Amino acid sequence: MMSAKTVQPSAPLRWTIGLFLATWCLIAAFPLFWIAVMSFKLPVDAFSANPLTVIFGPQTRAAGQGLSLLDLALGLATLAALYVVAAKKLGGWVERVAGETWLPLGWVVGGLLYGAVAAGVLVVLLPAVAGGLEAVVRPIPLVGLLAEPAIGLTLEHYANIWFEQEFYRNFINSLVVTAGVVTISLTVGTLAGYALARTRSSLAFWLLISALIFRALPHSVLVSGYLPPFINSAEILEPFLGDAAPTLYGQPWAVILVLVAINQPFTIWMLRSFFANIPAELDEAARVDGCTHFGAFRRVIMPVMWPGVITTGLFSFLLAYNDFLVTSLLLDAQNQTMVPAIASFFNRETTTTDQVRAVAAAVSITAPLFLLVIVFQRQIVSGLTAGAVKG
Amino acid sequence: MKTSHLALAAALSLAAGPALAQGECAFTTDMEIKHLSAAFPAWVAVTDAMKECAPNLVVELDQEFRQKQPTAFAAEPSLYHIGGVANGTLTPLLNDGTIRPLDAYVEQYGQDLSPNQLIRIDGRIMAIAMMVNTQHLMYRTDIFEELGLEVPTTYAEVLEAAEAIRAAGVVEYPIGATMASGWDLAQDFVNMYAGFGGEFFDESGMTLIDSEAGVKALETMKALTEYMDPEFLVSNSTYVQQQFQQGKIAMANLWATRASAMDDAAESQVVGKVGMAPAPLAEAGARPATTIWWDGIVIAANVPDEEAEAAFRLAMEGLSPRTVAEHNDDAVWLVPGYEPGPMATGAIETAMMGPVAYPSSVEMGLLHTAIGNNIADFLTGQESAEQSLADAKDAYTAAAREAGVLQ
Amino acid sequence: MRPRTFFAFVGPSLVLMILFIAIPLVSVFLQSFWQTQTVFERVEIENCTPGFPAPNCTTQTVTRPLLDESGRTVTETIYVGLDAYRAVVQPEAVAAAFAAGEDFWSRLSNIDFWKALRFTLTFTLITLPLVVGLGLAIALAVNAALRSLRGPIIFVSLLPFIVTPVIGALSIRWLFIGDGILTNALEAMTGTQIFMFAQGWTIEILMLTYRVWHVAPFAFVVFYAGLQTVNQDTLESAVIDGASRFERLRYVVIPHLMPLIVFVSLIHLMDAYRVFEEVIGFSSQAHRISLQFLTYDFLMPDDSGNRSISRASASSMLTMIGIVILLVPLLMRTWRDYKPRG
Repeated sequence: MMSAKTVQPSAPLRWTIGLFLATWCLIAAFPLFWIAVMSFKLPVDAFSANPLTVIFGPQTRAAGQGLSLLDLALGLATLAALYVVAAKKLGGWVERVAGETWLPLGWVVGGLLYGAVAAGVLVVLLPAVAGGLEAVVRPIPLVGLLAEPAIGLTLEHYANIWFEQEFYRNFINSLVVTAGVVTISLTVGTLAGYALARTRSSLAFWLLISALIFRALPHSVLVSGYLPPFINSAEILEPFLGDAAPTLYGQPWAVILVLVAINQPFTIWMLRSFFANIPAELDEAARVDGCTHFGAFRRVIMPVMWPGVITTGLFSFLLAYNDFLVTSLLLDAQNQTMVPAIASFFNRETTTTDQVRAVAAAVSITAPLFLLVIVFQRQIVSGLTAGAVKG
Repeated sequence: MKTSHLALAAALSLAAGPALAQGECAFTTDMEIKHLSAAFPAWVAVTDAMKECAPNLVVELDQEFRQKQPTAFAAEPSLYHIGGVANGTLTPLLNDGTIRPLDAYVEQYGQDLSPNQLIRIDGRIMAIAMMVNTQHLMYRTDIFEELGLEVPTTYAEVLEAAEAIRAAGVVEYPIGATMASGWDLAQDFVNMYAGFGGEFFDESGMTLIDSEAGVKALETMKALTEYMDPEFLVSNSTYVQQQFQQGKIAMANLWATRASAMDDAAESQVVGKVGMAPAPLAEAGARPATTIWWDGIVIAANVPDEEAEAAFRLAMEGLSPRTVAEHNDDAVWLVPGYEPGPMATGAIETAMMGPVAYPSSVEMGLLHTAIGNNIADFLTGQESAEQSLADAKDAYTAAAREAGVLQ
Repeated sequence: MRPRTFFAFVGPSLVLMILFIAIPLVSVFLQSFWQTQTVFERVEIENCTPGFPAPNCTTQTVTRPLLDESGRTVTETIYVGLDAYRAVVQPEAVAAAFAAGEDFWSRLSNIDFWKALRFTLTFTLITLPLVVGLGLAIALAVNAALRSLRGPIIFVSLLPFIVTPVIGALSIRWLFIGDGILTNALEAMTGTQIFMFAQGWTIEILMLTYRVWHVAPFAFVVFYAGLQTVNQDTLESAVIDGASRFERLRYVVIPHLMPLIVFVSLIHLMDAYRVFEEVIGFSSQAHRISLQFLTYDFLMPDDSGNRSISRASASSMLTMIGIVILLVPLLMRTWRDYKPRG
């Protein structure tokens, strides 16, 4: 306790720190906040030069769609509650229900369930409750003003994107690709990272160095080289596989493999440093007890490796989920993931309405990322603490 | 009683809907046919019409289709049956021999086609055009009327009108232009250069843009930029369209496909105030400073004959007068039955004045890129016109040597 | 670990990397020395295109590829040595610029490769200290903040890092382009007309800002994790010895974080050197291009389907050489760290 007190900053320093953090948070969140606001307005409001018009959306309100102060208060309270539950409670629930061995699966299921519940609360429950309250409040003088629309807001862009333009298909494709990349990347990477951490040969060193150089390669060079072999793969592979030779172009699993490969250098470096921090005596003891290397890995290492694996997994997730170059070039329209789909909304001969719709799509794809960070932020920090700290 | 009638009628029409749609098709197929093209509204209309006649049609609309189209058509078998192309993107397919001649199909199934739709290369029909596109003048009728200005017919008059508008202080930037560096900027130069009567290549394939016409074209462009938003090097078609819709500019030489957006009440603040006129002449007595483009379909060579035939007949369903009747204002259609609306007059008048068709060829592709990467330096004032044209020529020469076009 | 076991563990990872990274890399290397050209012929043909009122038919001489009996284009591959590299680097033009003396820089920056190299290097070297510094500052500040506030602050701070890069760049672009609200705010503050996208240096500032905004959170979270393991006993004895706050930072905290600073710098150098999204996101190609953009531009087919494969390969090999040179000091360090244990 004494230590905490002695390093307690002085008052002016505390104020400086507070101000600095507040400024940083504003800078960090503002651009995203702004596109979120734009996505809820009619195009005339969204692209207005006057910031107040963009925020309050007079045209949108005039079109009969708006939020009252009451809605606003309820909405903010709900968002705060959802954040607190996700950040503080979800972790405990998942650990209790899933237990040690099933933890990763528990996280996936828990995250998806929570996402679904949160979406349900925001889209179904909240409007119903707010509508009911408004109906009750409206007849009361003065207080009734709280129920009058104050800020223009429309959900039509979201409705259009998700249902008419069938964006949910892209969402499912993204889920498939991302899940595939994270699973395979971690499985393959954990094995390699473990071996590299337990070997001192110069072969291992050169492998790590080449991985580092691989990571530095400009992606556009690699990626454009993939297209011809991917399209002609049926012809190329026919001598080996006969009629079963597949056309790789447009296949999600082929793209998953490419993304896993591109992601391997970073993954094995991260995981190597995690494993280097797990004392080698642990698995040596297991080997003395008659386990093979793989047995030792499974019995001794696997139970303690989850913090590092989850953190690395998050980076794989981000790479797969956010990838544009590989997915846009190698997937056809049926299997398109969300990011290239949005880019094509922007690129096609657009109208301003299309652009606002694309913004709505862009905001929708950030939502799962939000959830991810809220749920996992403690794991990110503790995972990094356990690994990279000692290099 | 009345409501139940209505409900009944609705239910009936729902039940009859798909059947009726199928009924309108002169040809239907269950084969799996695949289509790849750009994604603008005319393609959406055409592919939607094709889908009604072929439940197993797979449609891929991708604005960056030119990246994969040549490779995809060269595969054995081709990954797509039908390809959407423009005069530029036809070239690589033609050169690789991956599309088939359509003469026999046209003779058998092309009763509805007008001669204008048949793209003949070396005597054989290689593509079926569906629409034309060109850049022409759009202007704010209210501003021009208020200031008593004539609609400009040459670029000298455009500059005069711009000066008058700026002097009157109606809008901050009288002129808008699609000068985003890269493809758009090069296209703007190609328009202007063609307008000044410039030839692009000599007999040996060497470029001639470092000529008097080239310098004149660049200088006209530079003079126009004086009246533009200084951020013109990032303004693409959508940006210019938005500037128009928000009432920030008074005129622009813009793509015909953008015209209908000016009257879209949901996003435009200038509904009914934008007039359409032909593209201005580069100088009095010269040609209009624009090029004519067409969009259309091709059929892959590397697919079984019966599939190719089905694909062609399906494409004819897409390009039928029925599609045009339903989507009349989505494009300047070449398909019979098209009724030009008021927003299409500018494009049609431009076309009647006989501007050059965009001269698509292997060399032109290389030159277009070279121009787009080099003339911005002149417009930003870093280089003389002659220097930036010389740079573009050098870039073209290097690329053409590497491609083997020039020896 | 026996080599066989080692390979069993590393195998799957190795196979994937060889298949999708090493093999393409080798082919890029080869393509920078060999050139595959299509054999062309010039023929006179008649073409008809839509015209009003009647189709427009012209006879012209066109260049078209020679097709063999099976209908495939005839190509020939020739060894060109360093020609592709010369075409990219343009040594004669550099020599001429040198000879010209005075306007050496403006002449040099007229050559795409050197222009791109200049931008890429400044971009990398300016963002590096900013990212490390800002990341460290946020980490220290968050570590000193109230415990109950840390969670939400970490959440907000991570947003720029996790958001899809294309979308992050677009959202910043909208704030500044044309009459974007931040440009308007700046104009109101300074009382002058501001056009962020009209000249090179303002775009360059936007690109730098975007990159720092996007990557600083990564540096922050790594440093913050590191701060959790600072030895409290050492800190306390430093306090007892009367070390000031700054001295504690300088002599205890920073040395502890040093491996992390190296790690973050390493990652950032690699990522910044292949800067690319910013060029697309801010459409800066008229003013500023990067090395990866140069390669990308060579590779993208034009309307007629041409790509400059050899020059693209040469330019990407040069990019790779550049990155290896930049990484050498850090690689040496890794080697030193690695060896003693080995």
